[in-house]
Amino acid sequence: MISEGKELTIAFAGRHNAGKTSLVMGLTNTTQRPVNFPGSTVHRTESTVTVDGQNLRAVDLPGIASLDALSRDESVTISYLRGEHGQEIDVLCVVMDASKLRVELSLYRELTSLGLPVVVALTKLDIAHGEGWDIDVAALSAALNVPVFATNPYTGEGIGELRNAVLAGSMHPSTPLAKDPSEIADQVMCSVKKSTRNLTERLDQLFLHRVLGLPLLLLIIYGVFQAVFIAAEPAMGWIETGQGMVSSWASSQLSEGALNSFVVDGLINGVGSVVIFLPQIVLLVFFITLMEATGYMARAAFVLDRIMRTFGLSGRSFVPMVTSVGCAIPGILATRTIEKERDRIATIVVSPLMSCSARLPVYVILIGAFFPVAYAGTVLFSMYMLGIVVAVLVALILRKTVLKGGVSSFLMELPHYQRPVWRVVGGQVWNACAGFVRMAGTIIFAASMVIWLLSYYPRCQVIHDAYEAKIETVEQSNSSDEEKEKAVLELQNRLRADQQQQSFLARAGKAIQPIFAPAGFDWRTTVGILAAFPARELIIPTWGVLYSMGDVDPGGYEPSLLGGEEFDRSSGLFGQLRDSRRADGSRAFSPLIALALMVFFALCSQCMATLAIIKQETNSWRWPVFTFTYMTVLAWACAVGVYQIGRMMGYS
Amino acid sequence: MQTLDQCALGAAVEVDHVVGDDPLSQRLVALGFWPDARIMVEQCAPLGDPTLYSLHGYRLALRRDEAVRVVVRAVVG
Repeated sequence: MISEGKELTIAFAGRHNAGKTSLVMGLTNTTQRPVNFPGSTVHRTESTVTVDGQNLRAVDLPGIASLDALSRDESVTISYLRGEHGQEIDVLCVVMDASKLRVELSLYRELTSLGLPVVVALTKLDIAHGEGWDIDVAALSAALNVPVFATNPYTGEGIGELRNAVLAGSMHPSTPLAKDPSEIADQVMCSVKKSTRNLTERLDQLFLHRVLGLPLLLLIIYGVFQAVFIAAEPAMGWIETGQGMVSSWASSQLSEGALNSFVVDGLINGVGSVVIFLPQIVLLVFFITLMEATGYMARAAFVLDRIMRTFGLSGRSFVPMVTSVGCAIPGILATRTIEKERDRIATIVVSPLMSCSARLPVYVILIGAFFPVAYAGTVLFSMYMLGIVVAVLVALILRKTVLKGGVSSFLMELPHYQRPVWRVVGGQVWNACAGFVRMAGTIIFAASMVIWLLSYYPRCQVIHDAYEAKIETVEQSNSSDEEKEKAVLELQNRLRADQQQQSFLARAGKAIQPIFAPAGFDWRTTVGILAAFPARELIIPTWGVLYSMGDVDPGGYEPSLLGGEEFDRSSGLFGQLRDSRRADGSRAFSPLIALALMVFFALCSQCMATLAIIKQETNSWRWPVFTFTYMTVLAWACAVGVYQIGRMMGYS
Repeated sequence: MQTLDQCALGAAVEVDHVVGDDPLSQRLVALGFWPDARIMVEQCAPLGDPTLYSLHGYRLALRRDEAVRVVVRAVVG
């Protein structure tokens, strides 16, 4: 008997796709909390429920196929089951898929060697019935000499009984099987009707079709993208409006000065520029979870494995990489489906090379200012291609060097197609989003603060006083109110520009400008690049300030602008960039320099959120540091290459 | 006697044995490729590899270089 008040740990073990997660969520009625095994990147998830004053801690372990591990997450699960993590397991719940009982029983036989108290949860009986089999649960329980419960996550059937049995503490250590697993299976499975060609087989005829399989996959991915970006847009608009309202309210509450700028420019806009991605993340995680839950993801991996293997990745790397074209953050979260650690890390490290939506405003402004409309589409497309090609090459190099190792085995089960358990899907989406918001609230908050400090200080009193005097003069003059207002605004913008020009950030930009000189970048662009390290689109407001244009919203630069009739390339930031001059009077920009800058942005690691999520997902600082370093070096080298080769070819 | 990767689509065969004793071969056995297990060759991927097999009521995909370890015989009777 288990004493009152003690926490009871129940560990769930079984094969991949056995239905562990749905069962655990049904058992505890709470969303799960991911917990890392000490010293590894492998997650287990835990959730707790209190029944009659007794705590039940449910541990959902990654799937295993036997007690001999092939992959890292399996070996961690197995050492946990063996008690090598120093945590006591009170009850082991072996989750068995009833539709393939024979193989399940061979794993069960191995698990009995652990000597833990065991209870069995049978899942997917509906699928077994559909295939014409019935399972005699009582006979199975008698043959195994442990309690067996038939469970159904859709209806909750059997789950309460399982929980009560565990809480009653009536489990006893399992005994070795008296008979061969196949013999037991023959004994408890009875054929009730002839199996017909089922839905799974028919769907696979279509989804795995030799000709149609690949186009269908691309169509589904394309559909998901469209859905995500179209559906996320209004919500992103609301966040933007909300952020605007919060910052103007904060601005009105605080007097002009450092605190005001810190709260508005530093905190609200810094954190806001990251939170704005939340709607896209919610939707992408939702669709990815749905693809996983219905069983389609395994098909996508099956169809693509051959192509991905050419680059040292596996079929499962495809979805994260495609998702990263929207945003690398949900893309990196999607790598959790990759079982093998080295494949997974290679995929995480190359995913940020995909041209994400934050790069788009930068491409749009540079293409708009320096390339004829006829070439705009081609240049934009080639930036996306550049990201894909470099990602694939980097993956190939990594898998031959630091992430060396034989191609991991495939051995993938294609589970039965099933309708998703919505509670489980919802729980997984919630987990991903909660993690993202936590990160925005901590790491991004801190980094925004640092960047703000560098771009605001030091304040030069002489400059401030000089402009105050000029503003005073304008206001005392007898021009019309409208003219005065315009002149004052102009002076305020110039004051901001002058202050920013001597900030730490600008000084750093001027100091390191020689590093970027071989790529043709002037000091303003260098400052923009520095300011863009937290989030790449920040180069646009920074340019805005440096060119004394006041606040410039990167959201205003949409690709539709490039094809527009009334698009005026001499106005606004477009014109400022075109007319910008260096100290020696030569132009600061040319199409060649714009191209070099776009290449730099395509390849550079300029997103704090991505680096933070890499830290979270690999549970180590090593990979975010590596990603940042290789991408930044590569971006610099390629930008210099483009500029220098272009010059040799006679462009300037 | 042939290996599983040589079997034509739609073929039904029985496992004779799995070659080798390394973790991958042990895993193949754990997944159900034990002697006398019946295997159906279901479908192959659009690019010819991997191939989908069904055994013990479930569907498992193997690459060619994994299937080559499984020695099979024709179903008798």
